[in-house]
Amino acid sequence: MHPLRHPRNAALVGILFVVIGVVYWVIPYVGGWHIDYAGTTMLIALGAAMALMAYVLVAGSPNE
Amino acid sequence: MTADPHALATTEHSPVAGLSHDARGGIGNPVLGMLLFITSEVMFFAGLFAAYFSVRANAPSWPPLNPETGEAFHLAIFPLVGPATVLLIASSFTAQFAVWAIRRGDRTAFIRNLSVTVVLGIIFLVMQAIDYAALGAEGITLSAGTFGTTYFTLTGFHGAHVFGGVVMLGVVLYRGLAGQFSARHHDAVEAASLYWHFVDVVWILLFSLLYILPGSGG
Repeated sequence: MHPLRHPRNAALVGILFVVIGVVYWVIPYVGGWHIDYAGTTMLIALGAAMALMAYVLVAGSPNE
Repeated sequence: MTADPHALATTEHSPVAGLSHDARGGIGNPVLGMLLFITSEVMFFAGLFAAYFSVRANAPSWPPLNPETGEAFHLAIFPLVGPATVLLIASSFTAQFAVWAIRRGDRTAFIRNLSVTVVLGIIFLVMQAIDYAALGAEGITLSAGTFGTTYFTLTGFHGAHVFGGVVMLGVVLYRGLAGQFSARHHDAVEAASLYWHFVDVVWILLFSLLYILPGSGG
């Protein structure tokens, strides 16, 4: 199996969105601007959902 | 005529047929469907959580004042919600014990652990109903401003999911008692267990958010 196709690596897709969510929260927090908590929550949750979807795509694919 | 290399192996000829992964290394349809369903559910609850955070961030103080008593709303962990949380977390363990039992073909342990899981799920729902009644007596209702609306929407939808999970596990238990599962054929058990773990994780997040996260302002 190619290393990129290991189901464990599906988590990387989710982590990417979580990082974007954290950045989305940190920048206005540091800058003293309005923090969009709803957007931050959705981005982080999207990370969890995307990781699951990536797992389905990777683990559900044939090995050939 | 050559055999189709992509064809699924039959039960009789493949050592892995009937497991969660078919002969080509994919995952079984029930587990696949449940994972996709859980993915959509993650975003469903994300919408509710996002609404809660947005309302909370825009409130001058949180929890807000109860217009009936003039004091800030207060949610008590004891005597109901804390123990109910422990029971729900315990039920996730028993669900997993049931999965491990059927994987090794131990039907007795499978039935026992799954039965305990269903009972714990029912007890959680009963405790939540009692807690709702107690909150209502204190003036915390669905119509008690944004606090009541967000609280009952979040916990109510979660309770509905627990109810759905109990029904799902009940069906799996019924099928298990009928002898429909074995070490090789138990995709439904795996799928129901995944859902139950998801419901458990959502509750841990809800509990942390509603009962542990400190208030602000005021």
